[in-house]
Amino acid sequence: MKIDELEKLPSEDISTLASAERRKFLRLGLVVTGMYLGGTVLSLTSARNSQAAGVVPEIGKYPYSPHYSMVIREKLCIDCELCKEACVKTNHVPAYGYRTTILERRRSLGGDRFETIFMPVLCNHCNRPPCVRVCPTTATWKDEKTGIVVMLPSRCIGCKTCMTACPYNARYFKEETRAVDKCDFCWEAKLSKGETNTACAEACPADVRIFGNMADPESRVFKLVHAPETMVWVLRPETGAVPNIYYINT
Amino acid sequence: MRNIFVPLALAVFLGSGAILYAAGQAPMPADYDEDTYGPWAPVIWVKPVKSVIFEHKIHTVDAGLDCDSCHDDLFAMEAGAAEENDDFTMETLYAGGYCGACHDGATAFASDTRCTACHIGVRGHARIVGSGDGQGSGH
Repeated sequence: MKIDELEKLPSEDISTLASAERRKFLRLGLVVTGMYLGGTVLSLTSARNSQAAGVVPEIGKYPYSPHYSMVIREKLCIDCELCKEACVKTNHVPAYGYRTTILERRRSLGGDRFETIFMPVLCNHCNRPPCVRVCPTTATWKDEKTGIVVMLPSRCIGCKTCMTACPYNARYFKEETRAVDKCDFCWEAKLSKGETNTACAEACPADVRIFGNMADPESRVFKLVHAPETMVWVLRPETGAVPNIYYINT
Repeated sequence: MRNIFVPLALAVFLGSGAILYAAGQAPMPADYDEDTYGPWAPVIWVKPVKSVIFEHKIHTVDAGLDCDSCHDDLFAMEAGAAEENDDFTMETLYAGGYCGACHDGATAFASDTRCTACHIGVRGHARIVGSGDGQGSGH
């Protein structure tokens, strides 16, 4: 292109740019910036619809089959600890550790009156397990079929990062195997051998612990958490781990 | 001088031991008459499950029951006699036996409600009696 021909073309500098054009450009820039700010920095809108429906997944949305879970009817627990004894015997748990335990808290009834609440706790076999995410040697993982969070002791280097990551304090370091040990819903001791119930649920005299397949609408666990007018809660839902131990009081 | 010192030291030692032992439980008030209201110390059953607490004071002083409301028809006077019976179970209570005679939902709260009002568990047992066997505190 020759220079004298270029000079005849209309100027492209801002003196010829229409005011409306400039405003449109500016607005585009603001929209793009605003989208980024609004979406991530200010979080004016949430990134996803998280847990709006409650802690129990919607029917048909259980990622595993069988989807093993446990329902705990909390108010019936009397801390007889027969579940712990059965667990210790079945899974060879040493005296310094536990796979499941009972917590205790006191609730005021007004005045000087209190009531005791016993809370059985165990591994929640989370759908998004923080312990699995942090393991550097893949010694723990979520079983693709059953959803059970399992351990391979021979692969564990004993770094205990999983113990720190677990929101439920459900892991302990087992000196005998030099590896972290945890509840596996009695997979190794019972379920893999064809049995259908965990040792703790079997031992409970008060029918507090109910173990079963949440993906089966005919199972007792499914019926309990899907019963009308039932308040279902999980422990520490704010961690986003999506636990599979459900607590009810019916 | 020495004759006084030894028994005095012994008395202080045993006395402080007794005070420390009793510190876990509320001390018995001076106006509580054990012959009228039953023993101050709670009854703790460990069979068939650990552990259930019964306090005479709540039932006599607070609820106004007499000794013969429960003794000897529902419970033998002898401490710990009931738990040696095979029928000392919740089923019997639901049928009106033992505690269930009153704890039926009409006279007092029903036996199948407020479980932890009486069931203090292994933890409660360890707190009151002490975990002598080490099993309770270990796990």
